[in-house]
Amino acid sequence: MTAFPQMRDLAHRLLAYEAGVGKTSEPMESPALRVYEKLRQNLVTFAGEAAFESLAFRALTQAKSETSALWAVQVAADGSLQGLGEIDTQTGMDKDRAGEEGIILIARLLGLLLIFLGEALTLSLLRNAWPGEAFDDRNSAYGRKS
Amino acid sequence: MSTQDKVMINKLPTGVPGLDEIVGGGLPEFSFNIIAGAPGSGKTTLAHQFVFANATPERPALYFTVLGESAIKMLRYQQQYTFFDPSMLPGSIRFINLSQVVLEKDLGAVLDQITKEVEKSNPAVVVVDSFRTMVRKPQSDMDLQSFIQRLALFLASWQATTFLIGEYAEDELRDNPIFTVADGLFWLRQTAERNSIVRKLQIIKLRGQDSVPGLHTFRITDAGVQAFSRTFGLSAHKRNPPSDRRLSFGVPELDKMLGGGVREGDSVLVAGSSGTGKSVLATQFIAEGIRQGEPGIVAVFEERPQAYAERATSLGLDLETPQKEGKLEILYLRPLDLSVDETMHSILSAVQNIGAKRLVIDSLAGFEMALSPGFRADFRESLYRMIFALTGIGVTILSTVEVDESFTEFPFSTYSISFLTDDIIRLRYVSIDGQLRKILVVIKMRGGNHAKDIREYEITDKGVVILGKRLTNYQGLISGIPVYSDRPKSPDETSLDTGMEHKT
Repeated sequence: MTAFPQMRDLAHRLLAYEAGVGKTSEPMESPALRVYEKLRQNLVTFAGEAAFESLAFRALTQAKSETSALWAVQVAADGSLQGLGEIDTQTGMDKDRAGEEGIILIARLLGLLLIFLGEALTLSLLRNAWPGEAFDDRNSAYGRKS
Repeated sequence: MSTQDKVMINKLPTGVPGLDEIVGGGLPEFSFNIIAGAPGSGKTTLAHQFVFANATPERPALYFTVLGESAIKMLRYQQQYTFFDPSMLPGSIRFINLSQVVLEKDLGAVLDQITKEVEKSNPAVVVVDSFRTMVRKPQSDMDLQSFIQRLALFLASWQATTFLIGEYAEDELRDNPIFTVADGLFWLRQTAERNSIVRKLQIIKLRGQDSVPGLHTFRITDAGVQAFSRTFGLSAHKRNPPSDRRLSFGVPELDKMLGGGVREGDSVLVAGSSGTGKSVLATQFIAEGIRQGEPGIVAVFEERPQAYAERATSLGLDLETPQKEGKLEILYLRPLDLSVDETMHSILSAVQNIGAKRLVIDSLAGFEMALSPGFRADFRESLYRMIFALTGIGVTILSTVEVDESFTEFPFSTYSISFLTDDIIRLRYVSIDGQLRKILVVIKMRGGNHAKDIREYEITDKGVVILGKRLTNYQGLISGIPVYSDRPKSPDETSLDTGMEHKT
């Protein structure tokens, strides 16, 4: 998938953003889970739980092929993610690596959205989920930090 | 009650080219509509066009998807259309999926969910796609009719214009109580006729609006649904009063035979067999119009515009320059599955674009062949509507038609359409003095004077040129095999080139 490096950058930005927010509001929840949940809430609203669950399952399958650390993570019927928090706990001593799994999973999910919805609608969805973030689709492929 | 006291119903643009005219100027605001039809008939696309044409950030559109097509896939495909503006999502257009509620709960819960979302967003437009999928699930507390009635009442109170989309077969139209609730019922059909697909739209009902009755053809293109009204978008136009102005053919002797030229707004038929010069005469007609400042349209079906212009050049007629100057458009219409309405739309657009006063259809046989087979049965009726509509706005139409040369009869057209035309000019071959020569006669001229002469003509590098006086020394010219007659000439024959006959 040619767009994957850009999706990784975008996923990294979103996780970094949520990590910053999490320091003050919800320090115990993983940034990757918060990003995932925001995407889930927005996508479930317009596409339904079943559609999101299918998409998330596919993204997780792709991500598992990249990192074995995600082997125990599961997607529930409502599309919620189970087991990602445990990875954070297990790899608590190596926070960079834990972040890496989250980045891979979110990047894969964003990649699927890009394939199915296209750049404009994907960015539109992200703007809705993160109203405070700037996703500039004019000057770069998938966004630039403001 | 005076007109001022009556409630004004705003008409909303449908976003579908041609549909506003069909529904009587636009869709009534706050109306509750059903779009019905078979899968693939364009229901969702039509609803999307309406949504994109009317949603704003202040009064957004809520698009509820139920079971059936996934919203992700629907958006994937719909964004291919040119009307789809991704920047309108989700600010102005919000997609909300109700499948979970439908699967796990009942219609009451669906209504509650829609109510909640409507109260939250205050939408101008609400679409439920497809509400039919809810019917197929066994219901408990609320039946579908009750659901539809309550939904209609609620959405009207919230000043929303609503579309329910449903897959319905033709026979389900009868005795269906759901349809009685709707203010508007749009039925989309698509049928295969031989190798062509024909799409038709019918406004079965539309409260408070004077919609155009009947079946209207439509096409789905990159721009979405495009509808073609049976009245060709001219229902709002008043017919021009008959004109006394005469238009020159660019052939002086023929103008004389026509009593000064073709009457403006007439429909002229030039009939003859292959090679008699029908297209040449048509080209001279259009070129003369341009010379006199009357823009023209030539609809060709049998040769490409470039070839048509090059042939005109060989006759000393320049059709290239007026095309560049926007005074002439040569339309090539031959995709082989057109409806007359689509053809008319192309012609009318061209007429309106350049303010055309003259139109040449070259030829009717080519026109018929360009139509989808399903429309050929209605060719005469369609032709009548087309000619009536165009001449009504003052366009003078010249159509050519090929007729089989016969030496026992003198047909004017193979289509029995002479009643559609005001004037008929017949060209034919005759055998004279060991040569195959050509003669021309004005058969009919509605409401005007025309010559009764049979004149010989030639096609030269200047086009059709009428020769000398009328042929007085032959009997049976129109049979094609005349007999030389050595009878003495009458006094009028010796002096007249053109005799006039008054016809009413």
